[in-house]
Amino acid sequence: MEKFAKAFPSRPLKAPKDRRWALAGVVGSGNLEVMFERNAGGPDRMECHVETSIPGYKNSWLAALADFAGHYPVGGTKVTIHDQGAAPILVTLRLRQAYNHLTKATT
Amino acid sequence: MAAADFTARRTNKMRRLGRIGKLARGKFVSPKNIADILKRIIEPGDIVCLEGDNQKQADYLANELAALDKKDLHDIHLVMSCITLPAHIQLFKKGMVKQVDFCFAGPQGATIAALVEAGKFPVGAIHTYNELYARYYMDLTPRVALIAAAQADRQGNLFLAANTEDTPAIVEPTAFSDGIVLAQVNEIVDKLPRIDIPADQVDFIVQAPYPMHLQALFTRDPAAITDVQILMAMIALRGIYEKYEVQSLNHGVGFNTAAIELLLPTYGEQLGLKGKICKYWMVNPLPTMIPAIESGWIEAVFSVGGEVGMERYTAARSDIFFTGRDGSFHSNRAMGQLAGHYAIDMFIGASLQVDINGNSSTVSKKRITGFGGAPNMGCQPMGRRHPSKAWLKAGAEANPGPGSLPGRKLVVQLVETFQAGRVPTFVEELDAQDPSIKKALHGVAPVMIYGDDVTHIVTEEGIANLAACRSVAERQAAIRAVAGYTPVGLKRSRRVTQDLRARGIVQFPEDLGVSPAQASRSLLAAEDIKGLVRWSKGIYDPPAQFVDW
Repeated sequence: MEKFAKAFPSRPLKAPKDRRWALAGVVGSGNLEVMFERNAGGPDRMECHVETSIPGYKNSWLAALADFAGHYPVGGTKVTIHDQGAAPILVTLRLRQAYNHLTKATT
Repeated sequence: MAAADFTARRTNKMRRLGRIGKLARGKFVSPKNIADILKRIIEPGDIVCLEGDNQKQADYLANELAALDKKDLHDIHLVMSCITLPAHIQLFKKGMVKQVDFCFAGPQGATIAALVEAGKFPVGAIHTYNELYARYYMDLTPRVALIAAAQADRQGNLFLAANTEDTPAIVEPTAFSDGIVLAQVNEIVDKLPRIDIPADQVDFIVQAPYPMHLQALFTRDPAAITDVQILMAMIALRGIYEKYEVQSLNHGVGFNTAAIELLLPTYGEQLGLKGKICKYWMVNPLPTMIPAIESGWIEAVFSVGGEVGMERYTAARSDIFFTGRDGSFHSNRAMGQLAGHYAIDMFIGASLQVDINGNSSTVSKKRITGFGGAPNMGCQPMGRRHPSKAWLKAGAEANPGPGSLPGRKLVVQLVETFQAGRVPTFVEELDAQDPSIKKALHGVAPVMIYGDDVTHIVTEEGIANLAACRSVAERQAAIRAVAGYTPVGLKRSRRVTQDLRARGIVQFPEDLGVSPAQASRSLLAAEDIKGLVRWSKGIYDPPAQFVDW
């Protein structure tokens, strides 16, 4: 088990105000859950909290999260990740899916 | 000076046949005499072709050959497509082989690597399929060919059923050079459904005590396709199939391309691509193509081999598949590979390792697998002269010089950045470059597909258009940009990636209009084998190992 947190610079989030949070994935073997929440922090920062069952990959996590914050306007959000040994290739997909859910227009 | 003898091979063949005497009744041989027959028709120094590829095996003859004593079989020059059976390995362990020339050693890859290390694997070269067949007509013409057929009739004609595979490419050069062709057959019948090999080209026939081995090699259970593979399939469909309007193609055999096949009737229809892409295929009868075929996407499929369980389905869809006068499926590996070389807009497949220059390989230090057919298709055919929309469009992007072809085949590597067990796909240098492997192969590193031939690399991160890169440095940067969080990917520069993205050389899902939220298994036209059976209206008969209901 390894836990760490870090904030990354990002452009402010553009999403319907009523959408407070979004979730993608589940905590299960080889999978992970990613939750986005609007937070009270600065509008130009994505705050990340990662909890993973497989230690030793902190640098990869930080690089993936930094890239994500660079690609997408996610400033003003808090991202919580609970990982249970997901393949690295699944991480960005879940981030993108949660972001999709957060930003799509309310139906 | 003595007159040169220009018919020595014929005389020699007569001598060998003379040694058989009453061991055969005409062409027909009893299994109890097969060991004696093999001893009498093979001489030391012979080039012996043992039929066997990744699906079909002359396994009875291989077993009989491997059971001989070294005093009766030695110094043979073995030529064969695939070294896959324990009997093949026995030939090396017993020291019967003075040289081997082959294509692929999938399941025996680790054993071959160990034999190489022990100096017991005297390899001439590892080939691609058509390259080896071509040499059967040049400097590696077999003296003896041991082949497999489904049925023989009383005259000695052979029926090859769905799995024609390599057989004609082996028989022709052997039979027309005074070589000896010995066929194992599953049964001997009065009338064949159709004649695939005429009796004229066959010297001996033995009814094997057990049917030849046929491997279900191309059956991919949709249940094992992941969300990430579906995302990659969506990226490929938009960024390549749609963009270039790919009409004719070959798919590899992995789950990544199976995902694409299963997205055609769903995501492909949503995009309005039906009738615009993916009409002509050079591919085995893949069960995962059933939904696309049933939905009317596919015009024609030609195959290098059959697939266990697809017999009734292919016979009932004879507009799509090539079938004989008897109505059953026909394949041909040499001709299929030729079609895949010259006549397709796109080859797309996966690999185990890709280096920073786009070279790929399935060889690792402990596993020597070889090539098979991918390099024949995953390359630029320099002899191509006919245009197609995709070929010209890809060619224009590659900015051809005054001395080069105007078009390019799309050669696409579809890889996840990591393999199972967190092993990175992207590496600075291929394991295939290992000095001991190169030494065993006389200085040639076993590269599957060369970076210069690759036009695109697709990963879960996005697409790198290598053909549009203008320098080696740019190509390396484009590869790093889609290499994810592998050590190769972590070395990318954000500024350079942004520049490549601005120029369209690197594209991410959002640049292609791909929504990751849609990347879920529910997008597959069939989510399991049973779903494929349903799509086939009950005429696909999956092999027992895939049936869990």
